[in-house]
Amino acid sequence: MSDHINKELSEAERQAYLDKFGVTPADASHDILLQMIEDQFANGLKTQVEPFPETDREFGALLDELRPLNADQLREKLDISGWLLEPYGEDQMRCQECMYYLVHKRWCDLPELDLPAEPQWWCRLWRI
Amino acid sequence: MANLLWLQGGACSGNTMSFLNAEEPSACDLVTDFGINVLWQPSLGLELGDQVKEIVEKCISGEIKLDIFVFEGTVINAPNGTGEWNRFCGRPMKDWVKELCEVADFVVAIGDCATYGGIPATAPNPSESVGLQFLKRDKGGALGEGFTAKSGLPVINIPGCPAHPDWVTQILVAVATGRAGDLTLDEFHRPKTFFSSFTQTGCTRNMHFAYKVSTTAFGQRKGCLFYDLGCRGPMTHSPCNRILWNRHSSKTRAGMPCLGCTEPEFPFFDLAPGTVFKTQTVMGVPKDMPEGVDKKGYIKLTAAAKGAAPAWAEEDIFVV
Repeated sequence: MSDHINKELSEAERQAYLDKFGVTPADASHDILLQMIEDQFANGLKTQVEPFPETDREFGALLDELRPLNADQLREKLDISGWLLEPYGEDQMRCQECMYYLVHKRWCDLPELDLPAEPQWWCRLWRI
Repeated sequence: MANLLWLQGGACSGNTMSFLNAEEPSACDLVTDFGINVLWQPSLGLELGDQVKEIVEKCISGEIKLDIFVFEGTVINAPNGTGEWNRFCGRPMKDWVKELCEVADFVVAIGDCATYGGIPATAPNPSESVGLQFLKRDKGGALGEGFTAKSGLPVINIPGCPAHPDWVTQILVAVATGRAGDLTLDEFHRPKTFFSSFTQTGCTRNMHFAYKVSTTAFGQRKGCLFYDLGCRGPMTHSPCNRILWNRHSSKTRAGMPCLGCTEPEFPFFDLAPGTVFKTQTVMGVPKDMPEGVDKKGYIKLTAAAKGAAPAWAEEDIFVV
């Protein structure tokens, strides 16, 4: 498990969310959450895109990192999952084809993420 | 009247429990309606000790005609091929099994263990267990690849962990009433009438399979269990969703992934940590595809299905 990941939202981060969006991620609507995600990247967030979990054990290790996070820890979720706002790799993998993606709800149904997503986005928990 | 003798080797008695729950026909129907004379069965027989031994010896000597020999559980060979870890009536069970199979008109293996070795034969297989004619996918087992009973048929295998009760009783009735000639067996000696279709055939989650909507946690009633929770329904031969369990349900209908227990590799991946209830993937793509589907086709199909999926496929359609 990554040591640098805090398991609580800092007071400064909480206040920043409130100042900018009026809510924290845990209470945000679908559209606000999408804005929050885009905002993280606009502010220079670099996520852990590699290594891609080639095996289920590696995949499970990432889930183990995500599971203790609370719904407010949006940045940490994006970081650990290797979230990107574009397709990835030579196969141009994207949420649209991912097993966890609900295309009509534009939602990632993986319980450990449970976030809105656009079809052209991607993360390293992608499965088909 | 057909004489039936049922013995257990390396077994948990699960198939006996299943058999006793049979409904179409029931275990009682076998006796009252179909003329099966149960010489002895571990949970039904009244005889004990020497009385059982006498029945078995009379079958071997021919004094009692043995029409159907049913075996449940593995043939145990440990330690060192002696079979002493599973003694029955004063000698290794494997010796009784061999002699009984030589005199029986029909030999029927009930459950995964008797068929392929099942869970006891999982690596490192400390009990040196084998099935009657298979060890997992390999032919041979306790009786050898070329074995045929006096009827000319090899061991009739009815796998499952346990086997569905009606698979057992229906095959026993077919054999006892002279309709064994109607049975066609597949490469693992399973009756094709039960084992040609897939567990997925008749699954109530098929629409979610088609539209690639995944169940992502236990308890969800939407979604297909294949994509994430390790369901083996699309590649397992069984009629679990055609001949329902307790006449009204099945594992997948109840939200439990199919474990593939009618296939020789069960339990899959030797039960290594992280392999149960989790679809095994390589670079995000399932290791085991639905039977007959290749990776390229699967990816194309997924893209098309996701693109065509209707909104209702994402909803829980079984709202209470």
